Amino acid sequence: MSPLQYLTEEWRAEAETRLQAELTPERMNHITSSMSNVYLDCPGGETKHLLFRFQDGALAELALGTGEPPEAEFLITGSYDVFAQISRAELGAQKALMTGKLKLKGNMIKALKLAAIADRLNKVLAGIPAVY
Amino acid sequence: MKPLDPASPYFVDSPGRVRALQAEMARAGIDLYLGSRLRTLSWVLDAFCPWRSFVVVPAEGPPAAFTFVIDAARLADETWLPEDRVFGFAPMGGQDQIELISDHIKDLLKGRRGRIGIESGMSNYLPEGNLTHYEFERFRDALAGHELANAHDLVDRLSLVKDAGTIARFREASRIVDVGHGAVCEALQDGGWKGLTETGIAGLAALAMRRAGSEWEWSFTGGNEIASGYRTGLTGGACTPASRREIRSGEPLMVDIHSMFMLGLGDHSHNYLIAPASDRQLWHARNFTDIVDLTLRTYRAGTSPSELAEKMIAFAESRGFADYMVPGFEHGIGMMGDEWRIGMNDGPFPYWTNPDHRYRENELLICAMQYACPEEGIGFRYENPIVIHAEGCEHLSKFPLAVDVVL
Repeated sequence: MSPLQYLTEEWRAEAETRLQAELTPERMNHITSSMSNVYLDCPGGETKHLLFRFQDGALAELALGTGEPPEAEFLITGSYDVFAQISRAELGAQKALMTGKLKLKGNMIKALKLAAIADRLNKVLAGIPAVY
Repeated sequence: MKPLDPASPYFVDSPGRVRALQAEMARAGIDLYLGSRLRTLSWVLDAFCPWRSFVVVPAEGPPAAFTFVIDAARLADETWLPEDRVFGFAPMGGQDQIELISDHIKDLLKGRRGRIGIESGMSNYLPEGNLTHYEFERFRDALAGHELANAHDLVDRLSLVKDAGTIARFREASRIVDVGHGAVCEALQDGGWKGLTETGIAGLAALAMRRAGSEWEWSFTGGNEIASGYRTGLTGGACTPASRREIRSGEPLMVDIHSMFMLGLGDHSHNYLIAPASDRQLWHARNFTDIVDLTLRTYRAGTSPSELAEKMIAFAESRGFADYMVPGFEHGIGMMGDEWRIGMNDGPFPYWTNPDHRYRENELLICAMQYACPEEGIGFRYENPIVIHAEGCEHLSKFPLAVDVVL
């Protein structure tokens, strides 16, 4: 497939299809949780967010929007460029957190339980051919 | 999360403590309390916090605990707070202790300018946990516009008089300490002391107490304090981490051991003379047991540390051994981390025992007495948690008061 523009409706739809196909409830450990990625300084200067909501391990919602992010158990904030580097596998999400390039809001104890799942999710997203 | 069982003899009403603190905060004009001292963490969370930790108590509702991420799940398992009120901090964006706690506080205060109670001061007790200068500056910057006000006196006032559950925990910790003393006493008999070292005795006691349910030889002074020979009589000394010194005949031996039961603390010291004991050593021993006995009979509600010290020194003077008494007879005690001064911080020297503090019923303290004659290489120590009553005191360790001569 031809590359999609990162963080557009087309990219979101492809992400939703792939996440539902590749991340079974078993691989997602039947979690019920939500996470909002907040992308600062997107091309054009706006702030975007991408909400992931899982119910019993199944992707229940993947919503792309602008402005204030919706309520979620975890909020991960960073610049568009940092998220793009993670999607291109040029930067690990953990390193981005540990160097302060990403900021996590939410309970760290629960976040640790979900770290491996978040990695699986990021790998699926990184597989989408994209232009940034 | 540890369930609260009001039927347990060891029950402490942690939610009630929080409500009492919130009422004190309201009276003092404090919108939110940021606790960092070990004593505050134990008292509010009813769980052991060995790593740097904080508790945020809002004006209403449950508190939140913050600790180093490697211990957060264990803390969540042991405190009465639900899991989602315990947070781990880590060196990650948004998750370091300053940003995590500041964001939590700002969320609670909802944009209002608040007056935030902090814990600042000084202590001879190293793990006290007052906010460091660096932490204060970082919180002040992160919470710009809010006022940080020293408010540790709120917790100090509320935690001074102990509830029945706390006292029951101390009783059990003392029962465990007595098991440790029994094991040491048995091991020393009939020449059993030969070849033993101070560290070996500390270990013997620790093993017996752990088997009896002790969680830790909690004292920061090296756990179990064992001293032999000249080390028992160091001038003005009341701190003897065990050394590798071998026990020898004709010398004194001081066994000061510590247990912990549900954050209640056992702390009792028993003394020996390894035979042969000279008349002079036995004279010192009688002086010591007599003054301890008199001290225990003198404690009651209404008396003060200075009054008690005056009476005891007068007694020692009348018997000719005042030169050997360290003129302090107690130290404060409470749930783990609360080990230092007596009373509130309202004496002539800030953060030291107020000599004019009037004991109240159900205050707990350690009756702590040190007899030291350095020129003769002999000394004895007495420590025992006591509960102040209207007409006396209850000493929690029941190990018989004596200086035992061991053959």
